[in-house]
Amino acid sequence: MTDAVTLSYINLYAVLGALPKLCELVPEASALVKGKPVSVGFAVKGGPHATLCFQDGGCTLRDGVEGCDILLPFSSPEKFNGLIDGTVTPVPRKGFTRIHFLLKEFTALTNLLTRYLKASADDLKDDEFFTRSTTLMLYVVAAAVCQVGNHDAIGRFSASYIVDGTIRLSVHDGPAAVISAKGHKLAVDPTTPPRCTACMEFSDIHLARDLFDGKVNAVACIGTGGIRMSGMISMIDNVNRILDRVALYLA
Amino acid sequence: MRKLNSYENSRAQFARAAKVIPSGIYGHQGPAEGCYIPVEAFPLFSDHAQGTYFWDVDGNRFIDYMCAYGPNVLGYNDPDVDEAARRQAEKENCVTSPSTVMIDFAELLVDTVDCADWAFFAKNGNDVTTGAIMCARAYTHRKKIVFFKGYYHGVSPWTQKVDYPGVLEEDVMHNLYVDWNDFDQLAETFERYKGQIAAVIAQPYMHGNFMDNQMPLPGFWQKVRKLCTDNDVVLIIDDVRAGFRMDLAGSDHYFGFQADMICFCKALANGYNVSALCGRDFLKNSMSSLSYTGSYWMSAVPFAAGIACIEKMKKLHMPELLIEKGKKLKGGLLKAAADNGFNLHVTGIESLPYLRLADDPSLHLHQQWIAECVKRGVFFTNHHNHFINAALSDEDIQETIDIATEAFHVIREHMD
Repeated sequence: MTDAVTLSYINLYAVLGALPKLCELVPEASALVKGKPVSVGFAVKGGPHATLCFQDGGCTLRDGVEGCDILLPFSSPEKFNGLIDGTVTPVPRKGFTRIHFLLKEFTALTNLLTRYLKASADDLKDDEFFTRSTTLMLYVVAAAVCQVGNHDAIGRFSASYIVDGTIRLSVHDGPAAVISAKGHKLAVDPTTPPRCTACMEFSDIHLARDLFDGKVNAVACIGTGGIRMSGMISMIDNVNRILDRVALYLA
Repeated sequence: MRKLNSYENSRAQFARAAKVIPSGIYGHQGPAEGCYIPVEAFPLFSDHAQGTYFWDVDGNRFIDYMCAYGPNVLGYNDPDVDEAARRQAEKENCVTSPSTVMIDFAELLVDTVDCADWAFFAKNGNDVTTGAIMCARAYTHRKKIVFFKGYYHGVSPWTQKVDYPGVLEEDVMHNLYVDWNDFDQLAETFERYKGQIAAVIAQPYMHGNFMDNQMPLPGFWQKVRKLCTDNDVVLIIDDVRAGFRMDLAGSDHYFGFQADMICFCKALANGYNVSALCGRDFLKNSMSSLSYTGSYWMSAVPFAAGIACIEKMKKLHMPELLIEKGKKLKGGLLKAAADNGFNLHVTGIESLPYLRLADDPSLHLHQQWIAECVKRGVFFTNHHNHFINAALSDEDIQETIDIATEAFHVIREHMD
C-alpha cells in the first residue's frame, strides 16, 4: 500500500521539512539553533537529497547537498526512514568537527518537532500549543501531499488529473498553506498567494485538527459549512484523494 | 431586487440527517458532490414538486434546471404517467411472477430505439452500464474496457478510478483511458491491446464537469463504429444522461451510427424507478447467460410508468420540444451575460445545457453567479450539465433570465 521511496521524500520534505516552520512558530526551537550557523545535508541513495540550513535562529530547506557542512549519507530510502523512526543512527561522511550540533541541538530540535507532531493529550490542552501543533500539521500535510502526488504510484495518478494552478488549504482567520501544480507536479508555494485557483478552508483550527486526526470526514463537513471549498473543485477533489494516501504514510 | 431565500429548516434537517446518514446527504444530490458553493446558498431538502418547480422545506420555490438530475422530463407529477402507474399499482407491482407489462415495455423500446433488438430492465443507470460491460465480456471473452477521459458511467468499482476510496487496483486494472475525440489515440490503443479489448463505453458526447461539454468531431463516431466492428469490440453507448433528450431512437441515432448496446435510465419513466439496457440481436444470448438480477428489477409499476412516459414523449416530439426550450434559455442567458459584460459559455445540446462563466478560469466567479441565481429561486448547479423538462414554460424561461440578469448585476457590484 505504501512504498519506502515515497516515504523517504515525505520524511525529508514534509517531516524534517517542518523544521523551518517549527523555528518560526516555537521560540524554544529558534533559541536552540540561534547563533549556530550550520547546514546538514541528507543524501538518500535512490531517494531525496536536500539540506537543512540553520542561520540566525531560523531554518530553510533547499534541494541538493552541495556545500553542506555536515553530510549524512543513507544507503537506501529504508535506512533514511529508519532515522526518522529512530531505528537507524546516521554516520556523517563530512563535518565531523561539527558533529556536536547533530548530537545536541539537532537532536533537541527533532525531539521538539516530534512533541508537536505527535502531541500528547496533555500538551494539547494548552491553547497555544494546540494552535502551533495544528498549524505545523497543516504544513506537514501540504508538503506530504506534494510528495505523495509526485512519487506514490496512486498519488501520481491523482495528480495527473490536477490542472495547473494553486490550491489553498487554510483555516479561517488562521494559517494557510498553498500547493502549486504545474504539469501535474506538486510543490508547496511558500509565497501563499491570496487568490488561488482552488480553496479549501476550515472554519476553525479545531476542525482542521479533527480532520488531520481522522476524527471527521471532509465530505460531511462540507455539508455543515465546517469546510468551504471554492474554485476549481476538481483540484480539491484530487488533493483529497492524495490526502487519503498521506494518512497511510503518516499513520 | 428579489427577496433572497433563507434555508433555516434545510440546515436543521441536515444537522438531523448528519447524525444518522453518512455525510448527511451522500452522492450527487448532496452538498459536497453537488458542489453547493457556498452551501448556505442552496436548499438541502425538498418538500414537494410540481411541473418544473420544486419547493424546499423552507417554502422556497425553485425553477428546477436539474430535474432530479434528469428523471423529470415531462414535469413533476405528470398526470398521464402517474395515472398509468396508479392503475398498475392497483393490479400489482412487485410479485413472484413478473407482469406482462414488462413485455409491453420491452416491445415498446425495441420499436422506439434504433439499435434495440431486445431490452433488459433494472433500476439505476449503474445497473445497466454494469450489465452491458458484463455482457460484452461474456460475448468477447476479453477483459479490457476503453473509456474516454472525463467519463461517468456509474458508481460500481469498475466505473471508478484507482484512487477512489474503496476501489482496488484490481477493480480497474483492465480499464484503458483515451482522450475524447482523439480517434488516433483510440486506434493506437486498439493496436496495442489487439484481441484484448471487450468494449468501448462512452456517453454520446463529452459531458465532463469543470469544462465545457464537447460534441463529437464530424465523423468521429462513424470511425469509432468501424474500428469496433473491425476488431470485434462491443460499442456501448451510455445514454443514461442524454437519453430521450437528444433523440427518442437513442443518441447514437442522433449522431448517425448504431451502438451494439445502449443504456437508459433518467428520462425513461419520469421519475419512476427503472433503467433499461437495449442491445442488438447478436448479444442477446450473452445477456441471457449472465447471472444478473435484483429484488425490484421486475416491479410492474415503473414499467407502466415507462410505457406512458415514452408514449407521451413520442406524442410531444420530446427531443425537439426540449431543444427548442433550451435554445430560448441559452439565447436569453447569453444575451443577459453579454449585456452585463460577462462571457458565458453554454455548451452541449440545448436540452442538456452546461453553463460556465469563462471570465474567471478558476470558476470562483461562476460559482458566485450560480449562488446568486439559486438564492433567487433558479436551481442551477455549478459544474454539471442541466436538464430541460417539458413543463418549463416561456414565462419560466423569462423569469430565469431575469433572475440570471439580477445575479450578474450582483457579481458585477462585488467585482467593482
